[in-house]
Amino acid sequence: MRLKPPHPGSLVAFAILALVAGGFLALLRTGSAESNLLSIGPYLLRILAFSFIQAGISTILSLGLGIALALALARRRFPGREALLALLGTTMVMPTIVVVFAVLTVYGRSGWLAQVLAPFGLNEPVSIFGYPGILIAHVFLNAPFVARIALDALNMVPTEQWRLASALGFSPSQIFRHLDWPIFRTEIPGLASLVFLLCFKSFAIVLALGGGPGRATVEVAIYEALKVDLDFARAASLSLVQVAICLAVVLLLHGTLTRPPAAMTLRDAIPRPDRTDRRLKALDLVVLAIGLLFIGPLALSVLTGLGHMGAVADADLLQALATSLMIAAAAATLACCLALFLGAAARNRRVVLRSPRGAALFDFVLNILLAMPPFALTAGLYLIVRPLVDPSLAGLILLPLVNGLASLPFAYRSVAPRLMLAEERYGRLSSALGLKGLAKLRIVDWPLLQRPLGSAFALAMALSFGDFGIIALFGGAELRTLPYLLYERLGAYRFEEASAIGLIIVLVAFFLARLSGRLSYARD
Amino acid sequence: MLVIENCRLSWPDFTADYSLRVKEGTFCAVIGPSGGGKTTLLHMISGFETPQSGTLTFGGRDLLPLVPSERPVAIVFQDHNLFPHLSAAENVALGIRPSLRLSREERDQVSDILNAVDLKGFEGRRPGEMSGGQRQRVALARALVSGRPLVLLDEPFSSLDPQLRHTMMALVDTLRRRRNVTVIMSIHTPEDVRDTAEQMVLVAQGRVVLSGPPAAVLQDPVTRSVSSTLEP
Repeated sequence: MRLKPPHPGSLVAFAILALVAGGFLALLRTGSAESNLLSIGPYLLRILAFSFIQAGISTILSLGLGIALALALARRRFPGREALLALLGTTMVMPTIVVVFAVLTVYGRSGWLAQVLAPFGLNEPVSIFGYPGILIAHVFLNAPFVARIALDALNMVPTEQWRLASALGFSPSQIFRHLDWPIFRTEIPGLASLVFLLCFKSFAIVLALGGGPGRATVEVAIYEALKVDLDFARAASLSLVQVAICLAVVLLLHGTLTRPPAAMTLRDAIPRPDRTDRRLKALDLVVLAIGLLFIGPLALSVLTGLGHMGAVADADLLQALATSLMIAAAAATLACCLALFLGAAARNRRVVLRSPRGAALFDFVLNILLAMPPFALTAGLYLIVRPLVDPSLAGLILLPLVNGLASLPFAYRSVAPRLMLAEERYGRLSSALGLKGLAKLRIVDWPLLQRPLGSAFALAMALSFGDFGIIALFGGAELRTLPYLLYERLGAYRFEEASAIGLIIVLVAFFLARLSGRLSYARD
Repeated sequence: MLVIENCRLSWPDFTADYSLRVKEGTFCAVIGPSGGGKTTLLHMISGFETPQSGTLTFGGRDLLPLVPSERPVAIVFQDHNLFPHLSAAENVALGIRPSLRLSREERDQVSDILNAVDLKGFEGRRPGEMSGGQRQRVALARALVSGRPLVLLDEPFSSLDPQLRHTMMALVDTLRRRRNVTVIMSIHTPEDVRDTAEQMVLVAQGRVVLSGPPAAVLQDPVTRSVSSTLEP
């Protein structure tokens, strides 16, 4: 019997797993044997406790504010509602290092809040470093995300059911019980897992706002092991712990973040019957005011950069901008190409070989990437490529590679369903016509793929462009991205320049995210 | 008697102006081309759309000042009639008491009506565990158990196969007679109600164009002129 050659996408999946495993092995081999899990037990327990507590509180606060905002926005129509939605969208794409700047600008020692409180004799408000700063930054990043997702989900309730609620005379509490709560019940586990994961893996925010070595997430501890102590074995041990915890959360996420497909329904937006309830009106007013007062100043703080553009327009900025764009474009290209290969292989498994379990293996590869600490992967890969390339070049190779791998799960989620759809619609016709390989890609898949692929590319670029992760390992005079330049300026207390750089990063990220959103919602 | 007189509704791209009379206890079928205003007519009667002018009364009572829950009207849509997290019995019970706190007598009412729509034994099933026809029967049961004398059915069986549609029409007719309610049903397949409906109304371009016995309406040249947009 002749064996069929493996699908190219299967080879790509294998290569990704080999890369991840190789990085780990390189770390373990290079490290000393002294930094095993037992020897770092007390230290590990301390940072795990901190990571769990801050991620847990951040998740609860983000869900609370996000869901309350979603309900208020679903019930109310008011002038400025669209602007508020746009504001929520902006915060979702704000890079973490810019959020650090925003928190310092608004809540820092000489920030806006301190200036407002000074005339009242409150010269020394609570220090922003430690839990307060970290929680504010995490809630600012995640509550708008929760609000947008929950609002989208609430908008999926069929119009007929709102009319039924109206005809049956549901009270506000019955509307919540029969229409809102069933939606939240399916959305909350997935959202909570995702927000928890993002906060648990938080790096830039905890590094900049943690306020001391005692307040580190596992991600920050891995960074310190690699950059400060050069303890590769400790980094490897910490990475294993991180992967185990994140994989558990990711698996939970995988099981719960499956929204039922949108049903055919009347799509006219009709006012909710509970909008006239006086108590809900008052509650919504309070929630919207809190949301606006919390999110507004932080989001608008980056606009302070408008007045300082001239101060940063130098060769360093242009070089950092060019480097960021180049790395982001390379990472996005890599993510989209890999997503195409993996998506095609998953489709082949599911539709041609009729093996849904085989197709699910590709999800597993992506889950591994979501759980993998980027620092550990980067350090391991650095150890592998070090004998082969100049160390200064290694950063330029590894940054797009690791950022591309980090964006791959998001790109895959845009591309893979469309590949499946193309197969369901035209698969048999393609077989009958003998369309295969590139011809099939061009004639059958491409018309359905081009917009989601464009959307995935723009999103991957936005994620990579604003990333302040592994650049912290490689950044320096020879290799600077815009987020790294911002970090340097913040470290030097040059806040005016930092504000201008932050504004540029946000504008580019926002433009890319808007482009991604437009492409993903566009019709075929 | 349901009396609609010169009820006018207008949007930038569509204007409707209805006048219609339906006797109490009648089975009235509303036919017409897609986008002609059948659903708008039912939504106006049930209170989801408010006319800018005209009068709307049922049994002599002015319905226009009333919100949907206060009108003597129950409605069944083409789809999404049931709340997916509730069982069939709970979905029906919403028609009696939205709080779902039922007395023993009310619980018996729910059982009786599920029995009447041939769903005995399905009380605990969720909508996802039932067929399309069974789900619509639960919706019909809820409309009937509410005790409201005017039942509006907005193309409720259009997604069912012809055989099942026929069965459902017969069920509606039987229950209507037994409970003495007025039924107004919009429908895309007039032949399905030729024998059961007592009154047929042709709605097109936002107006009641014809009203009368089904045979007469179906034979009318006006109906024939729009018949290409109706299913045989």
